[in-house]
Amino acid sequence: MIASFATVMVASMALVGCSTGSTNVEGEPDTSLTVGLLATPGNLDYTTTAGAAIPQALLYNVYEGLVKLDNDGTVIPLLAKSWTVSDDGLVYDFQLNAGVTFSDGSPFTADSVKFSLERVKDNWTANGPAYLDPIAAIEAVSDTEARITLSKPSNSWLFNMSGPVGTMFTESGIADLATAAVGTGPYTVSSFKTGESLVLSANADYWGEAPYMTDVTLRYFTDATAQTNALLSGDINLISGISQFQLVDQFKSNADFQVLEGASTGEVTLSMNNASDAFSDVRVRQAVMYAIDRQAVMDTANSGYGLLIGSMVAPTDPWYDASLADLYPHDPDKATELLDAAGVSDLTVSFKIPNLPYAVAGAQVVKDQLSKVGITANVTALEFPAVWLDEVFSNHDYDMSLIMHSEPRDVTAFAAPTYYAGYDSPEVMATFAEADAADPTAYIELMKEATTTMADEAAADWLYLQPAISLADADLLGVPKNTPSLALDLSTIAR
Amino acid sequence: MALVVLRRIGVFATTVVVASIVTFLMLSILPGNAARIALGVQATEADVAEQATAMGLDRPAVVRYLDWFGHVLVGDFGTSTVSRQAIGPDIADALGITVILVLTSVVLALLFAIPFGILTAVRHRKPDGVILSGISQIGVAVPGFLAGMLLVTVFAVTLRWLPAGGWVDPGDDFGGFLEHLILPAIALGSVQGAVLSRYVRSSVLEVMREDFIRTARAKGLGAGRALFRHGLRNAAVPVMTVLGLQIATLLVGAVVIERVFSIPGLGSLLLDKVALRDLPAVQGIVLVLVVFVLVLNFLVDLAFTLIDPRLRSAS
Repeated sequence: MIASFATVMVASMALVGCSTGSTNVEGEPDTSLTVGLLATPGNLDYTTTAGAAIPQALLYNVYEGLVKLDNDGTVIPLLAKSWTVSDDGLVYDFQLNAGVTFSDGSPFTADSVKFSLERVKDNWTANGPAYLDPIAAIEAVSDTEARITLSKPSNSWLFNMSGPVGTMFTESGIADLATAAVGTGPYTVSSFKTGESLVLSANADYWGEAPYMTDVTLRYFTDATAQTNALLSGDINLISGISQFQLVDQFKSNADFQVLEGASTGEVTLSMNNASDAFSDVRVRQAVMYAIDRQAVMDTANSGYGLLIGSMVAPTDPWYDASLADLYPHDPDKATELLDAAGVSDLTVSFKIPNLPYAVAGAQVVKDQLSKVGITANVTALEFPAVWLDEVFSNHDYDMSLIMHSEPRDVTAFAAPTYYAGYDSPEVMATFAEADAADPTAYIELMKEATTTMADEAAADWLYLQPAISLADADLLGVPKNTPSLALDLSTIAR
Repeated sequence: MALVVLRRIGVFATTVVVASIVTFLMLSILPGNAARIALGVQATEADVAEQATAMGLDRPAVVRYLDWFGHVLVGDFGTSTVSRQAIGPDIADALGITVILVLTSVVLALLFAIPFGILTAVRHRKPDGVILSGISQIGVAVPGFLAGMLLVTVFAVTLRWLPAGGWVDPGDDFGGFLEHLILPAIALGSVQGAVLSRYVRSSVLEVMREDFIRTARAKGLGAGRALFRHGLRNAAVPVMTVLGLQIATLLVGAVVIERVFSIPGLGSLLLDKVALRDLPAVQGIVLVLVVFVLVLNFLVDLAFTLIDPRLRSAS
């Protein structure tokens, strides 16, 4: 998912145990929480509706899968209490938790696993049904044992199972997914008004440890200032993933609030259409890399918040290489040399950006820096998502763009020749394929190799990693810091 | 009289049909693909094409228009491509909120404008009248959204007396409803109040120079009494005209104010649906807004004839 505001948190369980809890005037612990978010779900069905907003609200809270991601981005057990993998990496035997029920009362068994995963191929149209392509067969060995056989070994599919496609459904609960969410999670949806709010109530029959917060209201804002004002005035308790960073500092100096800075998976990317006349020459793309002062872009667009990354890899991924941030130091002379070597002078490019604050601010800096090496970038801000998706993403009618890619581990999608970046390297695609089928150690090495090659070939300029900044009442505990997945895991938050 | 009513209804119906066609055409040429938005960046072009067919987007424009408008005529606004729910109830909910907001702001604007306008008119040669008149000029210059942000900063963020935004249904919690209504209504009404007070002032000044006021004074009435008994009704006609024109402006202003205060009214609904290219919903909302403005203008016309009997024979 590109450039969604959704920011997400998966939490450290430890903090909840330490919580003593604050009390309200009646002496009862206050177990209600109001969270302010920006992207509103259009409905409750992420099997056919794209976007991070629905998984942000429902994944891990209402819906659960066999596995989930912890706050460091590691796959951990959820509905599966454990699993074993055959030596050839093809057969996964999942031992399921017993006594789990869906919120409509129906039992969760290995049959639910078979039902849910087999539905993906035919019934899902959004949120990456192709992630489950490696699955060849699903077998309910007993009520609490599910065996999944892959057609080829795949390191990524279990990770992907922690996302929306791994969600467990019950046959009796899918009649109207757009308005009724029936899952096994710690919460159920008690009301939903699109654009306004989504109210979650603790599931009294939850199979696991009950969450501290019994009533959680997710309130949706269209304006980041309105969102921070609501926190300052006490209307809400938590903002997960602030999108305008100039609003952060006022909270740092205010003892009533805490500011949590973590890592997201959102790479803010200056994409160059590798298939266009302007950028088909690697030297021209590299010239752009040297021409851009990424720190200056981050300072302007993000008030300095973020992390220089230099590749399409988030620090929570095992193949993250911090040294790539220094691959192309700011060096306009070198940029001019490369352009001369490529025989390019007076280059004019179309620079089509989404009309989102960070992109509009960042594009001005990029334009200015490019002009110093003789590249003229004509900036057009397109309405996001509708027009940007149409012109840039679908029709590839652009030379340069600037947008955040927020989906975890989206580098393999980015490398596909049909993707809007137009990067076409059979070697890199082969290395990704080899990596997916390799043993876990070689997996990391090969992923590092492919992502480094993409940086060497300047497939795009990954300007910086968007920080995951949460603003919260000072007395909230267990607020997740990082956002390694799409989900906003509420189960660890306490007072 | 029956002919007049018939003509009015004819004009009304024609306007609605023309508005429906214009809305439909404008949205048809708007770039962006609802199917791509629904499926996101992971879907292939083939998936998107299939989705477009499923959503009925590949049918000819005339067929889509007739299908939509035909259903609207029997009260069926269709199904949202995003929420997959009937659009009618969503529009009704949002319209209710916007109407409450707009009417409250009109009432607040009048409550401010009438006494303030009369006062500045009566004192127009005095220093205090000039100063007050200057203040209302500043009010005209401050945009509603800025007023909203200032009100939030003072009363919600700093003093924490009122919520910074959001909405509570009056049926759920009437106190909460009023708390959430007051700041946005003031923000929306402030500019209108200032504008109206200027009109009240000039209107009253004009009336005070009329012969019948001089006659009333000559009969021995005091200045205030003459104005109150004979002047205000006459002064009200131009003010009502401006108010009628302003209601359309208020609806537009409500779109912005609803954003600033995160109020789920018709403006917020419209912007959300446009962003998602939920065309059946957008068409329905715009049509409801058109009808709403037409009905309000009709009511304003009606109010004229109540205020000024001379206008009755004219219609």
